[in-house]
Amino acid sequence: MTIQKLNKKCCSLAHKLQQCKQGKRCKRHHGPLSETCQAGKLKICKLTGDRKECAKMAALGVLPGQEAELICSQGGSQCLLKIHGGTLSIDQNTSSNIIVETI
Amino acid sequence: MGNKPITMALAGNPNAGKTTLFNHLTGARQHVGNYPGITVDHKEGSFHQDGQQISITDLPGTYSLTAYSVEEVVSRDFLTTAKPDVVVNIVDASNLERNLYLSTQFLEMGLPVIIALNMMDVAKDRGIEIRVEKLSELLEIPIVPIIARSGKGTKELISQALEVAASSKTMEPRDISYGEDLDESLMELIATIEQTSFLSSAYPARFTAIKYLEHDDEMLRKGQAAAPETARKLEEIVSKTSDHLQATMDVYPEAIIADHRYGFIKAILRQGVLTHKFDTDRLYTSDKIDKVLTNRLLGPVIMLAILFGLYQFTFSWSELPVSWMEALFGWLGGVVENTLPDGLLKSMIISGVIDGVGGVLGFVPLIMFMFFGIAVLEDSGYLARVAFMMDRVFHFFGLHGSSVMPFIVSGGIAGGCAVPGVMATRTLRSPKERMATLLTVPFMNCGAKVPVLVLLIGAFFTEHKALYMFLFTMLAWLVALVAAKFLRMTVLRGEATPFVMELPPYRFPTFRGLVIHTWERTWQYIKKAGTVILGISILLWASMTFPGLPQSEQDLYESQRLEITETLAKQTEKLQDALTGINQEESAATLRNSIAGKVGLFFEPVSSYAGFDWRTNIAMLGGFAAKEVIISTLGTVYSMGVIEADKASSLGDRLVKDPHWNAVVAVSALIFIMFYAPCFVTVVCIAKESSWKWALFSMTFNTIFAFIASVLVFQLGSMFS
Repeated sequence: MTIQKLNKKCCSLAHKLQQCKQGKRCKRHHGPLSETCQAGKLKICKLTGDRKECAKMAALGVLPGQEAELICSQGGSQCLLKIHGGTLSIDQNTSSNIIVETI
Repeated sequence: MGNKPITMALAGNPNAGKTTLFNHLTGARQHVGNYPGITVDHKEGSFHQDGQQISITDLPGTYSLTAYSVEEVVSRDFLTTAKPDVVVNIVDASNLERNLYLSTQFLEMGLPVIIALNMMDVAKDRGIEIRVEKLSELLEIPIVPIIARSGKGTKELISQALEVAASSKTMEPRDISYGEDLDESLMELIATIEQTSFLSSAYPARFTAIKYLEHDDEMLRKGQAAAPETARKLEEIVSKTSDHLQATMDVYPEAIIADHRYGFIKAILRQGVLTHKFDTDRLYTSDKIDKVLTNRLLGPVIMLAILFGLYQFTFSWSELPVSWMEALFGWLGGVVENTLPDGLLKSMIISGVIDGVGGVLGFVPLIMFMFFGIAVLEDSGYLARVAFMMDRVFHFFGLHGSSVMPFIVSGGIAGGCAVPGVMATRTLRSPKERMATLLTVPFMNCGAKVPVLVLLIGAFFTEHKALYMFLFTMLAWLVALVAAKFLRMTVLRGEATPFVMELPPYRFPTFRGLVIHTWERTWQYIKKAGTVILGISILLWASMTFPGLPQSEQDLYESQRLEITETLAKQTEKLQDALTGINQEESAATLRNSIAGKVGLFFEPVSSYAGFDWRTNIAMLGGFAAKEVIISTLGTVYSMGVIEADKASSLGDRLVKDPHWNAVVAVSALIFIMFYAPCFVTVVCIAKESSWKWALFSMTFNTIFAFIASVLVFQLGSMFS
């Protein structure tokens, strides 16, 4: 993969380094939380995956329509999500099942 | 009220302050910390107020009353079966919305509940103002603001709780609307439940209906066991509703239920109950710190630096008090040596008690400094961040994020205990991940292994003690994780389960809290040394003393002494040296001929591959009882050959001077001690938490692995050194 191709991918390492250098922000993102590259505010669109886990997340307030704030994106491996006044640490398996939209 | 004790339950979200309040009320010393999931089982206590005896139960923290985890099942079962007179719901005032989610379920169950609005000081610092009276009026239950850490408001809380318990008025279950579709379905379910009195002795009909809609496994199982026909009917209704919601909205009923509960809470809070002085969008200091401390690149570097700093602090600050303790026990040995006549009693007190238990107690200052450092990390909330950062690593090794806490509790930062660590694995839902965690947590450097590590590192790697301690801690983690990976790839193969944890905010540890935490752990260490270790030390001393030398051999040494005395009668100094030499030889022969000596010698042909002589074998065998015994036994073994205690050096010095010991043997011994079979109490705990089959597996697997590793280290080390 060339560096140009890498640059095209929003969450690529090359892009991140570029962002860091130029202070640019990611474009509006709609997709799994695990692929959200930039910390900031977002809206939960949908929960997918195992029914039990969806229910557990719902009990924690991670529900469609709910606004939250991504504190540490950790490059998709895990993340810290501030929601309902608390901070949740979420692993990649779970965050890949939370569909969000940046706002 | 009066003579009959009132039963009270403390319930709430994880890390809301239940155990802090429990300790404050009962004067107990249950472990508390600034991370969720410390209480995994309910704990009982009692106290008096206003002439009334109150029996109180501290329940594990839960976010809901649906059976998503063991804690939730424990809490719900207790509330429904024990039926306490009053439930004190501890709510974190600085995180009201999330905490009230559980409160709504207590209301739905119709429990006699009172809310303790805890951490009012934190809420105030965050600019959160709560109109307590208004909230109480809207929820229709009493609410008392408290600060559990200082005890502020707790008297008022208990007074009001007693009033709720004494009230003859029964609480009516609160009805929350879940929207047209679910409300209709609920009506149908409730009608069926009421007609057949389905599970009516334990739960209100509406609560059972809601749990059926939430697809609560535990409730479904109970229903099928109690009345299979009704259960089938209810499942049919739920299935129909669920399919309809899936087709029309692409959601399950439980998501709609959760959404309406949060809606109910929001509707209440928006009626002027909650006001924010500052912008609600702003990040709190805690979040800003997290941006740095949990950063993907910086976070692990800071974490390792903190760990290394902890060891540096522990070793440098405890050096002087540890030397004072050594001097104290040396002096004590001297006093006994000069006071008591020669004989078994003197030998037992010097070799069994002073050199045995004294060796363990000598490390009290070091243990105290280390526990203080750990208490700072724990109370500040940093340990929860460690769990977050380690999750990714754990996942790679086939473990779960929730496995991090059992590892830390067992001695991940050195100084924990494997017993609560094994029990803390209850928070894991997947049986295979739990078993892998349960079997690998004993690899951590628990508080009992720390003095052994300190002794050997201090004796053979004097220049870089903190660095070696740090490296051995890292090695413990690495071995535990690799062992977990091996288990997950072989006997415990299975899918990984997701990990979600609420991070507590950073808090400034209180001096009182730090002192209590440090002291409670140090006291446990001292108590163990003065009881269990003392008993085992004396027992091992006896096994190292009896049956003694045969009379013929004793006569031989006696004749040697007489001969030397006659020959060197006029050369006092030479005579003294020669007599000491004969006495040491006799002591060594006695030890070799003792029960423990024979056992040690029996294993020597095998253990010598790892560099251990028969005396080290005795210590290692003693370590099965408790790891501290390794030190006390080495102390006893190496003091049996020394006749005058006041001339004897410290145990570390004796090991350095012993021809059987060197740096390679020390590393080999350290590796064996770190990884061989867990102590007896941990083995029993593993058996209780799983089965004796797994407990025996743990003993065998760990010992074989530790021995192979030690042999490799010793053989390779000897080759290159």
